[in-house]
Amino acid sequence: MKGRMEEMTITRRAVLRLLGAVGLSAAALPFLGPPPPARAQGNLANLVPEEPVEATLKRLFAGRPLKDGASAIKLELPIIAENGAVVPISVEVASPMTPQNYVKTIYIISDKNRRPMNARFNLTPAMGQAFVAANLRLGESTDVRAVAELSDGTLLQARRDVKVTIGGCGG
Amino acid sequence: MTDIGKVKIRIPSSIKQGDVVRARVLVLHPMEIVERKAGKPVDKNYLFINRVIVGYAGREIGQFEITQSVSENPFFSFAFRATEPGQLKITFLDTHGGKYEGTADVKLS
Repeated sequence: MKGRMEEMTITRRAVLRLLGAVGLSAAALPFLGPPPPARAQGNLANLVPEEPVEATLKRLFAGRPLKDGASAIKLELPIIAENGAVVPISVEVASPMTPQNYVKTIYIISDKNRRPMNARFNLTPAMGQAFVAANLRLGESTDVRAVAELSDGTLLQARRDVKVTIGGCGG
Repeated sequence: MTDIGKVKIRIPSSIKQGDVVRARVLVLHPMEIVERKAGKPVDKNYLFINRVIVGYAGREIGQFEITQSVSENPFFSFAFRATEPGQLKITFLDTHGGKYEGTADVKLS
């Protein structure tokens, strides 16, 4: 009987320790945590998946409705991009950027790229303005979407089509 | 690419406290794209930047996750609220474990 008790104690302790570890790692998960160690991150299995854009939207937003954000999102892109390897994009979302109401994430998605998910910008109220700009690679003429996720979970989308003369990505 | 990982940051020269200003950042990096052989992607550890961390005055204010769909020698721009004098520090992490940092001093006038 005593032996059994000991066994139980150890088990419970182990369980608690395990729970603690899970709690710790869960606490480290939010995006302000340390980045994961870089090791063979560039292998195919670790890249964003090659998929149609519908699958990307489903994967990222799990069927949550994308509201038309054309009035709130200022999406700047060239109408014709001569060189698909460098396509400047800038996204500005009208938002007070206070801790109560701010733009949490801006996604850039190009419909016809092999891997439509291009970039995810995690913002904080300390940025003062929901503005990001970057240079994209576009494989062919495509719609480019900017999706803004607000702190209350609302998803806003703006899209524009870009004519690409020379494609910019082999992958 | 001997200059790989060279970071340039531009911020406005005169900033008043509380201003929301825009920073522009450029990093030299090849941003390798997926190679294909007979239509099949080749599996190897491609060298590209996949994470950008923006820090200001010792705090992290933003984090970008990027892919190979971002151009070679990536350029980014973003806004931040200049609440105090401090250092704007941008860290780029690539898939081969490379870490490239650039800083700019934010001085208030």
